[in-house]
Amino acid sequence: MKEFLIILFSVILIDNLVLSKFLGICSFIGLSKNLKNAMGMSAAVIFVMFVATAVTYPIFYGLLEPNGLSYLQTVIFILVIASVVQILEAILRKAFPPLYQGMGIYLPLITTNCAILGVMLINMTEGYTFLQAIFSSVGAGIGFMLAMFLFAGVRSKMEHSDIPHFMRGLPITFVAAAIVSVSFMGFKGIIENLFG
Amino acid sequence: MNILLLTGSVFTPAIIGGAVALVMGIAIFIIFKLFAVKTDPRVDEINAILPGVNCGGCGYSGCIGYAEALASGADVDSTKCTAGGEDTAAELAAYLGVEAGLYIPKVAHVYCQGTQDHTKKRYEYTGTLHCASAHGLYSGPNSCTYGCLGFGDCVNVCEFNALYIENGIAHVNHENCTACGKCVDACPKHLIHMIPKHEAATVCTCSNHWPGAVTRKNCSIGCIGCTRCVKTCPVDAIHMDDSLAVIDQMICIHCGECVKVCPTFAIRQGLLSGPGTTVDNSVIQKAARAKEKEKVSAKVAE
Repeated sequence: MKEFLIILFSVILIDNLVLSKFLGICSFIGLSKNLKNAMGMSAAVIFVMFVATAVTYPIFYGLLEPNGLSYLQTVIFILVIASVVQILEAILRKAFPPLYQGMGIYLPLITTNCAILGVMLINMTEGYTFLQAIFSSVGAGIGFMLAMFLFAGVRSKMEHSDIPHFMRGLPITFVAAAIVSVSFMGFKGIIENLFG
Repeated sequence: MNILLLTGSVFTPAIIGGAVALVMGIAIFIIFKLFAVKTDPRVDEINAILPGVNCGGCGYSGCIGYAEALASGADVDSTKCTAGGEDTAAELAAYLGVEAGLYIPKVAHVYCQGTQDHTKKRYEYTGTLHCASAHGLYSGPNSCTYGCLGFGDCVNVCEFNALYIENGIAHVNHENCTACGKCVDACPKHLIHMIPKHEAATVCTCSNHWPGAVTRKNCSIGCIGCTRCVKTCPVDAIHMDDSLAVIDQMICIHCGECVKVCPTFAIRQGLLSGPGTTVDNSVIQKAARAKEKEKVSAKVAE
């Protein structure tokens, strides 16, 4: 139990996907304009994280590793994740139309999201067991959600603030992202103190 | 599960990679066939009729949303597109084979005329130039807390360039306005309303609910709630909401009687047709009053 808690804490707070590992920045910047978009995107990420791990883990340990093809993981994972997202999209469109409309464009966007591929590759390098890998992926998704929510809040506050002219638009967004990222640095060492 | 013994050869990665790709390809093919969703071809055709400005005036999220609702029969009213107007409504009705409903063109109207000449400033506002932020600071700097702040939140959201700020209050360019309703939502004071587009639309252009004495102190052109218009109206289109006269635009027959009796010029008749052109009601009103005076003096003389 403790090891799962450690994995969860570390992927959500310390090695936060967006704010510490700078993975998935494009969707983080692009879809954090309001809370509704942030919610849709992070829900889609958590969902795809779970499914992608469930698919890539058996492929890696069942097919690639025994044949000494670990070096193929990047290519195969890209292929598999893209296909799985496509299949999920088709199933969702038919079976759960409201959910499909809610996720909208965010689901196909995930096809080429570096965050998903990054987490899959990290899971394999860390040598996690299947359950640990699932925890790590879903945790990373929750971490993404946390970062999105915090940043969406910051950005909605920025809408009505007096920003210097040359900083308006993207520059101030990046600066704000940097400051939010600094706040996550404060979590360094939390694991040692909690579980150490 | 060492399925291939050709280790070390180029065939292993090629075959395994190919096999994964093939399996995924077949899986996608089967899933897409199994879960195929039939889309209505009429949606695209209806969408082609719509103006495609995605303003949301119909109440749906963009033109495609309205097209879907029409195609599926969830909505049978073909007159909802405010940007397209009467032509679009007729075209949609013809396409769908339904009877074209009565299309009433609407237009945005700012219910305030408290320009800088008519109102005072309570304090000097130096914050962000947004109505929403100014409204957050003690309801804004204007002496009338119901009135237009003039920072142009409505101008910013308008996609048709139909609003402009002049003399500290918002005005509508009625030729550009498509009645999409974005400004109605954007105004923190809820001053903008959609009214039927009529050349001689008669509106009590004021939104303050204060009693007359308070209104007089803070704005020289506001409605003071004297109820003279209510008594004059021949069709009972005017009612009082606290101390504010409200004219029901669907009942109003544009006779202009209320314009003549309004002591503060709060009631105005006629739409502005573009920047710079204003209908000066005070001329009509003064003329009407002069005539009344003449009548009275004539009676006295008799």
